[in-house]
Amino acid sequence: MLKYIIQRLLAMIVTLFMIATITFFLMHAVPGGPFASEQKVPPEVQKALEDKYHLNDPVIKQYFDYMSGLIRFDLGPSFKFKGVTVNSLIQRGFPVSAKLGIFSVLAILVLGIPLGVIAALKHNKWQDTCVRFTATIGITVPSFVIATVLLYIFALKLRILPSFGIETWKGYVLPVAALSGYSVSFVARLTRSSLLEVFRQDYMRTARAKGLGESKILIKHGLKNALIPIVTVLGPLIAGLLTGSFVIESIFAIPGMGGYFVNAISNRDYTVIMGITVFYAAFLLIMIFIVDLIYGLLDPRIKLGK
Amino acid sequence: MNDTISDRKPSLDFTPVRASREESEAVTTPSLTYSQDVWRRFKKHKSAMAGSIVIILLIFTAVLGPIVSSHTYYEQELDYANIPPLLEIYKISEDSYIYLHKHLKVIRVTPEGRLIERVKPLKDDFLKKTMLYEINGVEIIIDYNELPVVMHDTQGQQFEMTKKMNKSYLLGTDALGRDLLIRVIYGARISLLIALIATLANFIIGVIYGGISGFAGGRADMIMMRIVDIISAIPLTLYVILIMVILGAGLQSIIIALSSVYWVGMARIVRGQVLALKEQEFILAAKTIGVSTFRILLKHLLPNALGVIVITATMLIPSAIFLEAFLSFIGLGVSAPMASWGTLCSDSLEALRSFPYQLFVPAMAICITMFAFNFLGDGLRDVLDPKLRK
Repeated sequence: MLKYIIQRLLAMIVTLFMIATITFFLMHAVPGGPFASEQKVPPEVQKALEDKYHLNDPVIKQYFDYMSGLIRFDLGPSFKFKGVTVNSLIQRGFPVSAKLGIFSVLAILVLGIPLGVIAALKHNKWQDTCVRFTATIGITVPSFVIATVLLYIFALKLRILPSFGIETWKGYVLPVAALSGYSVSFVARLTRSSLLEVFRQDYMRTARAKGLGESKILIKHGLKNALIPIVTVLGPLIAGLLTGSFVIESIFAIPGMGGYFVNAISNRDYTVIMGITVFYAAFLLIMIFIVDLIYGLLDPRIKLGK
Repeated sequence: MNDTISDRKPSLDFTPVRASREESEAVTTPSLTYSQDVWRRFKKHKSAMAGSIVIILLIFTAVLGPIVSSHTYYEQELDYANIPPLLEIYKISEDSYIYLHKHLKVIRVTPEGRLIERVKPLKDDFLKKTMLYEINGVEIIIDYNELPVVMHDTQGQQFEMTKKMNKSYLLGTDALGRDLLIRVIYGARISLLIALIATLANFIIGVIYGGISGFAGGRADMIMMRIVDIISAIPLTLYVILIMVILGAGLQSIIIALSSVYWVGMARIVRGQVLALKEQEFILAAKTIGVSTFRILLKHLLPNALGVIVITATMLIPSAIFLEAFLSFIGLGVSAPMASWGTLCSDSLEALRSFPYQLFVPAMAICITMFAFNFLGDGLRDVLDPKLRK
């Protein structure tokens, strides 16, 4: 087990290193420096700026500087905001995004799984049809369409929820609904089909024959086995939440990482783009790793490290 | 009860079949080939049929729409900015009708709902918050002291109002007075192009890459799959955004970005299929009679994996369309004046409160397309691979 964890951690570091390298060279492949697009500045100023950010060093030196910074968790300064480092942007933005993300994961667990269970228990009844119908909508409609339509209905027409900001709990309702719409639907659909599959297994009949209570059968034998495929998709789903937050945060004017990222893209603020990409990648790899560990705990048949 | 049954005599309606053995054992219906069988099952699958019909209609509109339409996607008519698809028409006199816009613009219209021209006010009194118009000799006063705006003639008489469809611009116009319908149709062109590109990338790069990796095995497979792992370690969206930042916004860049990373999912699935298939006896048989590797790959492995490949390709189309709309929405997609569904949606946000139809039109277009492709994908999965059915 320990060997497996160490192995995985090493693989993660290698992957992260590759990602950082790729992003670095992609960013430096752009013709013209980050300041080239700005209004005409005197060549001296241009040179001073480039010197300040070490842009006149050979690319290899810049690369090693960046990498050694990365080891010390230093992602460098922002090109567009004076005196702001990428680290401080992440420190400011990440807690906000994380809060939104945690609420969305909660929505998956509290809404998605129970809805799937209800649909499976009431197979082919109206409850099932309802869940399947809403889940199909949730999966097919893009998050920014859900977000804007919700914004129009609840914030502009009914005026019961705020259209931007997260000062009160009400502010969270729309962004979380828009952000988790896809994942909740996906998990509900997956829970349903996976439970239906489990219901057909022999051990379910055995459990019933032993005289176990219905709720115990459902939880101990049904859900525990049905949850395995759900845990496997949680990793990619969290990834979806992260990228989904780019657009949700800019629609609802939430000062999170996604908003900074989108702004950095339109500002061509390369260090911020690089830094946030590397941060996202690291975060994701850790998430997928944790999910894999849970996966092993849930299903003893899966031997970790093989 | 018993005697009623025993009373029954063998019915005389039955006559013994007098047919020769050859006749009775003859195959009456022709046996179906695989593709015929698939087509038969596909025709029975209602949602898949509906999905493909919608997609065919969509392709027709995307191709023919711009030819048929009298508007262009870039032509601006600032006088007719933000005109909704449903007009409230006021009858001023026997043969003159006007439409009062939310921005207090008065536009003369025909009784059927065709726009004629914008009328300039005679007088705009900012202090009293009234505007004076003269149309065909009738003086109209628009009073915007309070909402809703009141419109009446000099005697304070209000006009008769009817609701009519906008005949000049069927789905209304955007903030610059461009026809929304034709812009949505151009958006459909872009989305379908993206669908095509994603499918091609999947088929060409994904299938070949996965096929080689699975078939070669050993170290080559290891290295090729590590590359795929690294690409898929961060979400594809992030990669595409990175590539877009470098290449700059535009349709070309989306296509390059999409085709450079969008095949990894397909590569993995094809590799898995090939790994499973290449151990089977028929491959061994082909090898023993000396069939070349390339031929085995092309003639034996791929046709057997084709079902899964087609399903995966169809399932990946909606996410490619979504990705393009998403990129355009955050400002990395096609640039103005070209329209994509994503840019149309994000443009509509500025005036969402007053002109929600500008959001609903492209949003509906995206939803319908996504539904169609999803239904088609689900249907193909049911039809081509009944084992996967859930």
